[in-house]
Amino acid sequence: MSDNEKPKLKLAVYWGAACGGCCVSVLDVHEKLFNVVAAADLVFWPIALDIKYKDVEAMPDGHIDVTLFNGAIRNSENEHMAHLLRKKTKVLVAYGSCAHMGGIPGLANFTTKEELFRRVYDESESTVNPDKIRPQTSFTVPEGVLHIPEFYNDVRALDQVVDVDYYLPGCPPQTERLVDVFMAIVTGAELPPKGSVVGAYDKSQCDECERKKTDNKKIKAFKRPWEIQDDGETCFLEQGVICMGPATRGGCGVRCIKGNAPCRGCYGPPADVTDPGAKMMSAIATMIDSDDEDEIVEIVNQVADPAGTFYRFSLPGSILRRKIVQTV
Amino acid sequence: MEEIRIGVYVCWCGTNIAKMVDVEAVAKAMREIPGVIVAKDYKYMCSDPGQELIIQDIKEHNLNRVVVSACSPRIHELTFRKALENAGLNPYMFEMANIREHDSWVHTDRAEATQKAKALVAGAINRVRWHESLDKRSVEINPATLIIGGGIAGISAALEIADAGKQVYLVEKQSQLGGTVAKLDLLFPHLDSAQQLIQPKINRAMNHLSIQCFLNAEIREVFGYIGNFEAKVYQKDDLETEIQFGNVIVATGLKPFDPSKIDQLNYKRLPNVITSLELEEKLLSGNLVMDNGKDPKHIALIHCIGSRNKNHHEYCSRTCCNTALKYSNQIRSAFPDAAIYEIYSDIRSFGKGCEELYTHTARQDVMFLMYDQKGEVPKITEARHSEKVNMMLEFREQLSGEHVEVPADLVVLMVAMEAHENAKEIAHAVGVSMCGNSFYIEKHPKLDPVATTTGGVYVVGSCQSPKDIPDSVSQARAAAARIMADINFGSVEVEVTTAVVNEDICCGCQTCISVCPYTAIHFDAEKNVSVVNEILCKGCGTCGSACPTGAIRSRHFTDKQILSQIEGLMSMQLQH
Repeated sequence: MSDNEKPKLKLAVYWGAACGGCCVSVLDVHEKLFNVVAAADLVFWPIALDIKYKDVEAMPDGHIDVTLFNGAIRNSENEHMAHLLRKKTKVLVAYGSCAHMGGIPGLANFTTKEELFRRVYDESESTVNPDKIRPQTSFTVPEGVLHIPEFYNDVRALDQVVDVDYYLPGCPPQTERLVDVFMAIVTGAELPPKGSVVGAYDKSQCDECERKKTDNKKIKAFKRPWEIQDDGETCFLEQGVICMGPATRGGCGVRCIKGNAPCRGCYGPPADVTDPGAKMMSAIATMIDSDDEDEIVEIVNQVADPAGTFYRFSLPGSILRRKIVQTV
Repeated sequence: MEEIRIGVYVCWCGTNIAKMVDVEAVAKAMREIPGVIVAKDYKYMCSDPGQELIIQDIKEHNLNRVVVSACSPRIHELTFRKALENAGLNPYMFEMANIREHDSWVHTDRAEATQKAKALVAGAINRVRWHESLDKRSVEINPATLIIGGGIAGISAALEIADAGKQVYLVEKQSQLGGTVAKLDLLFPHLDSAQQLIQPKINRAMNHLSIQCFLNAEIREVFGYIGNFEAKVYQKDDLETEIQFGNVIVATGLKPFDPSKIDQLNYKRLPNVITSLELEEKLLSGNLVMDNGKDPKHIALIHCIGSRNKNHHEYCSRTCCNTALKYSNQIRSAFPDAAIYEIYSDIRSFGKGCEELYTHTARQDVMFLMYDQKGEVPKITEARHSEKVNMMLEFREQLSGEHVEVPADLVVLMVAMEAHENAKEIAHAVGVSMCGNSFYIEKHPKLDPVATTTGGVYVVGSCQSPKDIPDSVSQARAAAARIMADINFGSVEVEVTTAVVNEDICCGCQTCISVCPYTAIHFDAEKNVSVVNEILCKGCGTCGSACPTGAIRSRHFTDKQILSQIEGLMSMQLQH
């Protein structure tokens, strides 16, 4: 390597409790992959490369320049890998909604491990399990003892387990934003302060959204998207449809809203908002068009799945964090 | 960032706090908290030596934050803010923890009360870390006053201010001034003439050089803020007049309850069932007869129609008992031989000279029968042809426990007094709040009874709750005095703990605009952001909690400050 040739960045991508969509969003860079590969060596990426955990363990500390960690922390394997990659990585990025705030898997915090296991291993319509077998963390077979990861009661966001340098939100993050961030690192541009959300705007969705907005947000009835004759032009909230846009960072290019679906909130809250669900509920409460207590209760009851609507991507990382578990 | 240096002062309040809270232990525990430089306990923090202690410590230890844990901030927050100012600190670098009303007075276990005090003070310490300096602001006062409503209250206030040489705009929606009083014949308790009382005042108001009267007129919206309001007065034939003023008095009065809502009274169906105000009309015209032109021989007055019953109005309408007693006297002098029935539920003839009116009336051969106003009102039916009377009233008489029938030729319903239908529109136009009964809410029920939470807006008379004439006039003149004081001073200090929009975050969703009770927020379409008028803003925080983006900060009540306070509280609870 000559002196003026820049050393290539060492890049890792890992998934915790994730659906795989984040890894696919990395693949979605398409032909820009050449720019990425020109500037970086992929040293670890389970979905695409056959590199084992022991190979990562063998790396010196701080060997990896950037790790994009997607997925939440839901079991002991996720947690182990989070600690390992933190140790081996200079810049750890919580990539995607699940690593950022807990994401969809985080909705499990509205229940408990026991309730989930009961449903999955005993009660579900497709389960035949007369011996009531449940997952064990270790099991003896003739060849020796097998270990599988322990399933935790709580789902956690990445920063609730290890120190995180940056957050790149989205379900999944918009690929163009990833390329922007990546190229900024590669070109040595000045990085934002540690803990910043990158690849997203300061302002929320409404700033980019082209639908007509007024101060006339009065809701007499909450509606599901299929219940309205959407004109494609009026603010969803002004049509009685809950849109998380006001409480959600821009940066995705208002993809859902442009597709005539209300924002679901995957880009997480704007800066300084610690609990986007509470913020949005508080905002929605001011829009209910009634002074009558009984009528207000009736209107509020029309919100289908309030917990899932307001905390769809953010439960573990919000102040609410989880349903209270009674300990005896 | 500057180093945080906090002084903590735990007050004994004599024995009020010290008896139930181990104040020394609280002060000692607070010394362990990072950033706390001094923590002391003292017998009376609010006393001059107590305040001097704080001032000395600020100077000696270079304190930049102060926490006093004592009584309610409603009592002494201003005292201690002033002490900080005297020591050269910004008064908002202060937080008060209430360990008296919220703690020592309401607990019986000393150990637990002490633990709670520690938690409350730790919360205040954690909050005060995030406090920011806020600067005082003042605005000049336009010496003109708008008075909405030309009844006895509005006229009294108008004359008070105009006689001091200041301009008044008096806006009345009817075609003449005088309001309810102008519709009355005689007044309780002395049975003097309402007309002789009100007419000279009307004439004086109409002809006063400093009063501009607008009749058949209304105000739809008031813009601006204390000292600098403006509005349009709308009159017939699209006549519009723009006016500017520094203060507003709302004196819109009330209206009678419609008894046709209560079926069994048969009001409107039986022609000789009338309301108290309809009786006033008959008395004023000197023509107290039945619909057939004959004199009534049996007259029944039914109290509490629409009042003191949760199906209608839970409150007492306050003037009807005395008015009914007045009627008995007027009817007795018109018809010396008539049978008069006061069908009441409780006689509430309080007030100067009013109990005497009741005693006097009881000697006028009037029969008092008691019914249960929480249950069913008397049922009024047409009498059979064989009867010599026109109608029959049936109800359970409470004192005897008997079911009784009372004959009547004329029934007078003492109807409740209620807020106008358009009370809400006026409330919104001027920025005052309404209670559940649609009466306007004063700033403090005891200590600030005519001001409202909107600076420069006052509520007087029966739009605030049903009132008699002396109380209405007292309130009107009190508001006038308040306004004269502000005009005389020339300027007024305005709230500094206002909301502020961070334009870098605001996304233009406009959720905040309609929730503001003071119409202090408008939308800047060019920048696509909401803008708070900080002089109109009262810092109520509604927009801050409604704002889904976190762009609106309520100064002195930021999320960071509140959440830190909660964390501080919880940190002490966990150690318990």
